[in-house]
Amino acid sequence: MARISRRTLLQTGAIGPLGAAFPAFAAETDSVTIGWPSDVTSWDPNQRFTPDAHSIMKAVFDQPLDQDANLKLVPGLITKWEMAADARALTLDFRDDVTFHDGSRMTAEDFRWTFFERIKAGHKVDIAQSMRKVTDIEVISPTRAIMRFDSPAPTVPVWLAFLGSFLVPKAYMEKVGVEAFARAPVGTGPYKLVEHQMNARIVLERNEAYWGPKPKMKRVTIEIIKDPSARVAAVQSGQVDITINVPVREVTRLKALPALTADLTPVTKVILLQVRNDEGFADPNIRLAAHHAIDKKALSNAFYAGAAVPLSVLGVPGSPGYLDDYGFAFDPEQAKQLLAKSGFSVDRPARIRMASTNGQFPSDYDIARAIVQMWKKVGIEAELEVIEYAKYFELNRGGKLPETTLYTFDNATGDPEIYTGYLLNPKLPFSPWKDMTLGQKVIDQFNVADEKARIAGWLALNREASEIGAAMPLLQSVLTVVRKKTLAVVPYRNGWVLPQAMAWD
Amino acid sequence: MILLAALGRRLVTAVPILFVVSMLLFAALRVLPVDPAAMSMPPNATKDEIEAARREMGLDRPLPEQYVLWLGRAARGDFGRSIHHRRDAGKLVAEALPGTIELAMAAMVVASGLGLGGGLLLFMLRGRRMEPVAETATTLMMSVPEFLWALLFIFVFGVALQAMPFTGRLDPGMKLPGITGFLLLDSVLAGRPDILWSAMVHLLLPAVALGLAFAPPIMRVLRASLIDTYHEDYIRQARLRGISEGRILLRHALKNAILPTLTLMGVQFGFLFGGSLLVEVIYSFPGMGNLMVDAVRNADLPIIQVVGLAYCVVVLVINSLVDGLYLVLNPRLRPR
Repeated sequence: MARISRRTLLQTGAIGPLGAAFPAFAAETDSVTIGWPSDVTSWDPNQRFTPDAHSIMKAVFDQPLDQDANLKLVPGLITKWEMAADARALTLDFRDDVTFHDGSRMTAEDFRWTFFERIKAGHKVDIAQSMRKVTDIEVISPTRAIMRFDSPAPTVPVWLAFLGSFLVPKAYMEKVGVEAFARAPVGTGPYKLVEHQMNARIVLERNEAYWGPKPKMKRVTIEIIKDPSARVAAVQSGQVDITINVPVREVTRLKALPALTADLTPVTKVILLQVRNDEGFADPNIRLAAHHAIDKKALSNAFYAGAAVPLSVLGVPGSPGYLDDYGFAFDPEQAKQLLAKSGFSVDRPARIRMASTNGQFPSDYDIARAIVQMWKKVGIEAELEVIEYAKYFELNRGGKLPETTLYTFDNATGDPEIYTGYLLNPKLPFSPWKDMTLGQKVIDQFNVADEKARIAGWLALNREASEIGAAMPLLQSVLTVVRKKTLAVVPYRNGWVLPQAMAWD
Repeated sequence: MILLAALGRRLVTAVPILFVVSMLLFAALRVLPVDPAAMSMPPNATKDEIEAARREMGLDRPLPEQYVLWLGRAARGDFGRSIHHRRDAGKLVAEALPGTIELAMAAMVVASGLGLGGGLLLFMLRGRRMEPVAETATTLMMSVPEFLWALLFIFVFGVALQAMPFTGRLDPGMKLPGITGFLLLDSVLAGRPDILWSAMVHLLLPAVALGLAFAPPIMRVLRASLIDTYHEDYIRQARLRGISEGRILLRHALKNAILPTLTLMGVQFGFLFGGSLLVEVIYSFPGMGNLMVDAVRNADLPIIQVVGLAYCVVVLVINSLVDGLYLVLNPRLRPR
């Protein structure tokens, strides 16, 4: 006689009939359901820089240049690119076999429209800022264009593979207008948008006419699940096949389940302490002591299962601005000596204020509290306050940020200009460090045309920033991915989780 | 007629209330230490570009001038553009509102059913051995906030039993009919029982989670009200006439005892509407709560403002309806 378990009994009892109504839980071999933590802000891909939605955007739209899984710049819609020696012109060759989802052919005119004409036409697009040096884009032929800049723009190729840089069709956008385009977007990407229920679901269908490798998944359903606990439940119950950004403590538990596996991948996002150069941190001894007192390895072990790499400079291992031979030591004794030089000790501590978000990134507030305790042991008394991420810019604008703020910064390109050049540029809204001695060096570095000199300059600046206590990099952040064991996905070092890079075993 | 007159009077008083709320909301949001101009720009925007955006958004003008400009535009139905989505804020909220109303109403049905049923049960158990048990159970229910019920239900029905969906409003593969935005109504209008079933099943867990948290106060007020009513002379006289206890309770006592409960339910609906915020996020339910969470995170002031006003309007309308209903049920309160 067949035995009936308690679970079976329950399922076939009061709840069972309901359960029978949901055959959608089962995975199909050519479709995938993804649990994603945030929605797409707008389907006009040039409109907003949304790092969290970048992977979804990359399914529907193509970027002129692409990055491989190891951050290397590789051809995309552009097959060849050549920067002039003075970095004031960039010659681009395009593929001739690319069509938009509406069947129209992609040409260099579409590139000019996206990165020049629509900006000049006054469209409110974030790429207006990344392309601000562009004075013209000369279309030589349907497959060739030359970008011209008003000053050296050596990082434009990097930006063509970065946030907001997706090609849109000139004819279609002019015909329907920006608002209608955002409702029914047309790209050249491997998937077409079928449906978008705001804050709930995105459905994509494979673009059978795609110019590149054909994706394995014919249909992709993206469930927008903002709550981390709900994402964990969704992947554990099989309602989604893969999800990201689950709490680190859940990774070990989920990995032990027979149907699931989980990865902790170090990515290009850095966790750091942004610092002021005045008030309680005017004295470099206190800044350096604060940096020496932080046990980054312990933070990684406690909050990221040891997977987050401790950092000494503003950059991640493998990125061009990273210094392999430089380390900023965890040395509480040295911290005490530096504080003693300025007349401080455990009994007579230096007093500073510290800000942290709570929930902006995993364990942020807990990390801040741990740092406060580490500082206490060497003679720094920090008063911790919680701020909303949105408050950071306003406080910084008014010069009201405390001496130090726990902060996170993502740079999928890995380029040092987008790390150090942004985090320590007094002209940009990120940097509470206002001293122009370092600040001017950072600003000048933006105009270095020669690639070798440019990278060498950023390397030197990275070292200097850590040595004078202008930067306190802490950890290379990790991306948590939980997926069904039979679902393979290519791990990108910049944190992309691309539907077109997924396949069932 | 009485209901319509009461509604009319209420709506007239609602206008100044809305005006005051809009003013308070505007002032409160403008004094927050956030920078909507910076949030509207990409991270690589320079300070000069952010300043230009601030001027363009009118944030450099005096607060009263900003409010008058906003009010003038709002009167024409223009609530500004969302900073985050760069879309019409009024339209975004209008798209999200039906979902939240549907959820709140479903939760109200659950809360009312449980509250009234539970209230009657509590009353009938008074003085019996089971009374402390029932009281403890209601206290326990009251102590668990709606988001905890939401997580608990996901764990039990979603993960452990794998019997219920807990994301979105519909099964994958089903498209929203998109007629009124009220999915249950739309599925009926579109003649799609499959969508109606799917929508109801998706609504069940969030509605019960939300409703459970709001049911205990209804139970307690109904019980207390019934106890008061049972001290009235007409109850004693009904007993002397030999009317059964069940009939006395349901036909005589409940009719009067339900009036204070009804007032509470009206107030509860307002709270329930606001309480849907976390439940919507947990269940990936695309409503105003979900929109609001993003808006707060991104300092999207136009959205926060419209959502705040929408909450105010809904609460005013519900309270007006309850007041009207109160007049219908209680003739003594009608103007003579």
